[in-house]
Amino acid sequence: MAADGEADDGTISEDLREQARALGWEEGLLDRALAHGYDVNTIAAVLATRLSGDQAKGFLDREAAQPSFAWMESPTEWGVRAVPADAEMGLTLADIMVGSYGEVPDLWTNRTEIARGSHPTAVQEDMGYTIFEKAIVWAPSVADLYERAIRERWAPATDLGWRSLEALPDDIERAICQVMTEQSERAYAEATVLGRWLPEISYGFVEMKLFMGSVIYDLARHAEAFRKRALANGGGLGLQAPTGLIRGATEARSFPELMAYLFVQDSVLFSFFRAAGNLARNQLERDLYAYAALDRERLLEYQVERLAGFLEAFPDRRDEQHQYLRKAEVRLAREWEDAAVREPLELLLGGGRDGLAAGGAALRVLRHRQVEEYLGALERAGFVRGERLHSGLRTWLEAPVSAGEGSLLATTGRS
Amino acid sequence: MTAAPATPELDLSWLDLYDEPTAAEPGKRGLTLEAIDTGAWASREEASRDMTPRLRGARARAEAHRQGLTYQTKADVWADQCHALYEEAVQRQWSSARDIPWETLRELPDETERAMCQLATMLAEVEFIAGDVPGQWLPAISGDEFEVGLFLMTQIMDEARHSDVFRKRALANGGGLLAQGAGLGLRNLIDAKDFTEMSVLMHVQAEGFVQSMFRMGELIGPTQADKRIFRMAAQDESRHLAFGVMHLKHVLAEAPERREEIHHYLDRAEEASGGGSGDVTFPPVFESLAILLGGGKEHFDEGVARFMLLRQRQVKEYLHRLDVAGLGDRRERLGPALAQFAA
Repeated sequence: MAADGEADDGTISEDLREQARALGWEEGLLDRALAHGYDVNTIAAVLATRLSGDQAKGFLDREAAQPSFAWMESPTEWGVRAVPADAEMGLTLADIMVGSYGEVPDLWTNRTEIARGSHPTAVQEDMGYTIFEKAIVWAPSVADLYERAIRERWAPATDLGWRSLEALPDDIERAICQVMTEQSERAYAEATVLGRWLPEISYGFVEMKLFMGSVIYDLARHAEAFRKRALANGGGLGLQAPTGLIRGATEARSFPELMAYLFVQDSVLFSFFRAAGNLARNQLERDLYAYAALDRERLLEYQVERLAGFLEAFPDRRDEQHQYLRKAEVRLAREWEDAAVREPLELLLGGGRDGLAAGGAALRVLRHRQVEEYLGALERAGFVRGERLHSGLRTWLEAPVSAGEGSLLATTGRS
Repeated sequence: MTAAPATPELDLSWLDLYDEPTAAEPGKRGLTLEAIDTGAWASREEASRDMTPRLRGARARAEAHRQGLTYQTKADVWADQCHALYEEAVQRQWSSARDIPWETLRELPDETERAMCQLATMLAEVEFIAGDVPGQWLPAISGDEFEVGLFLMTQIMDEARHSDVFRKRALANGGGLLAQGAGLGLRNLIDAKDFTEMSVLMHVQAEGFVQSMFRMGELIGPTQADKRIFRMAAQDESRHLAFGVMHLKHVLAEAPERREEIHHYLDRAEEASGGGSGDVTFPPVFESLAILLGGGKEHFDEGVARFMLLRQRQVKEYLHRLDVAGLGDRRERLGPALAQFAA
């Protein structure tokens, strides 16, 4: 092999050697590259990219390395053969939470994207995660909720009876379109807020992140489906949704704050979708609300379990949660007073513009139920809001509801 | 007991906003996003953007809050066909629990099982990042291009399923997770400061490389279950890749002055030979692929030859996709780690 500076069968010019020296390539590296099989044009191209000497050497060292198969001896748990607990359900996440792979640590310490249970390499870059405590994000059912989300998936384009829509009176159609516009935006905005938090959560809690992926996807379909309904039956989009409530979610400085804040919206929307049977004017809308309720139910289950676990792990942070809930309640109460939020519901519940008074009574029932169920969900998490409930919501809870009004709302059912 | 909430004065002004009655018609694929992209509601280059959470077409509220900075030019995020890609994603969701024939897994030679588990370990890791990256960009997308946001939300779901399925594979056949991947290039994806930078590096480059590998799944996968995993995952990656190519094409058409900037992102990313897909030349990954491609440790050299074919295929397809997007001149400035496979 020729030494650097001498032409090797005329293939490497002195000019190239000068370039290599200027880039800090050690003597002999050019010839090693040639011997390795790289042609002079490739070498010239590499030099043109200003590859440093260290990079070039590292590259050649790696190319020449003999296989070691050291990874085969990684000190991880071996011999795992997860099997479906229920053949009908297939191989679920719960099925693979076996042995050490099923251990979700209270505190995860690896700052890289390492898959939980694999063997860490010695040097890895920090990926910037900020959430390492299980109790911040975890809920015992996340693995099941994720698999349920996949089993219960639906497609707005084809699972709703778009061809069954029939023309409705103008005021009814416009009220529906206003509700749809609002719900489409609420879903989309919540998905964007949740998406922004994904890169914060470390791999220790992978099952929770998978579930959160399914939530974001659910919300995408809600945004899509509500928009489609607004544009499918002679109406259009109405006034944008109020922005105060969702703005508060973007202001959250921590995941517990975010989730406490969203607990309020997730709960009242679940109750709303579940009770929206009397808003619906056709089977398509009944189905749409029922699908949305099904998806929101999973999210609310997560919320309840997460909050319960969080309070158990951090009992001293109970009062702090009241603060976040209050912030959301204040904004929600204000939005419920908004004319473009309240009036379309009254109009639909009352059967038209002439029935606004009756619709108002039915809306009181709905709001009462939403607040009651919200408090019930908190209680399931071991959290009593009690006297601290914001007056703007308490007023709905304490408003007298007659027995007759109570029957104005049916629970949504899908065909 | 307090009194019932006072009944406010009726407003009803929201009833008077409808000057373009619309009744979008379902087609043979149902009522699609394309079908509702019509009239006043259609996407357009010039839109009255306002940085609030308002989705395109809804009437603006005077008091609406801004939600943070969002892109104010369609070309910054748009990809033609993103409606169709979204609908396809919704229609083609699959279940790692039930759509993979797990019962076809069979006992494999130890070294083959270990190789498959090592590959699955690396992929479970890579796909995890691939879900984080689109998530962090969602808030930056204006409601005027909400279809892009919707598409990214489907990608988050897809990547979750990929992380899930590769983890399941590692734990389903008498094996386990093995060594962490090299991680090279993954930081590039999460570090991107611009949507197009992110999309070119993740959708076109990283997912392109992964896609080329998945499409060799028939050769890589030792069992029917493995082959199906690669096939299903490849189907998803195709959409992500198509989004990236269409976005790049749109950017280059609408903002041709960004060509050199985009080359610069690629220059930097190509220095890491994995190009954001995790480094396939990292020994645990390279060696496991060579074992799987060769059909066993005793055919390692044959596997290495096929691995080189895989690398050639990855680079060739990468260049082809860039060419389709309008960046055909990438071939002349390809980084050295990839250039060797471009011949």
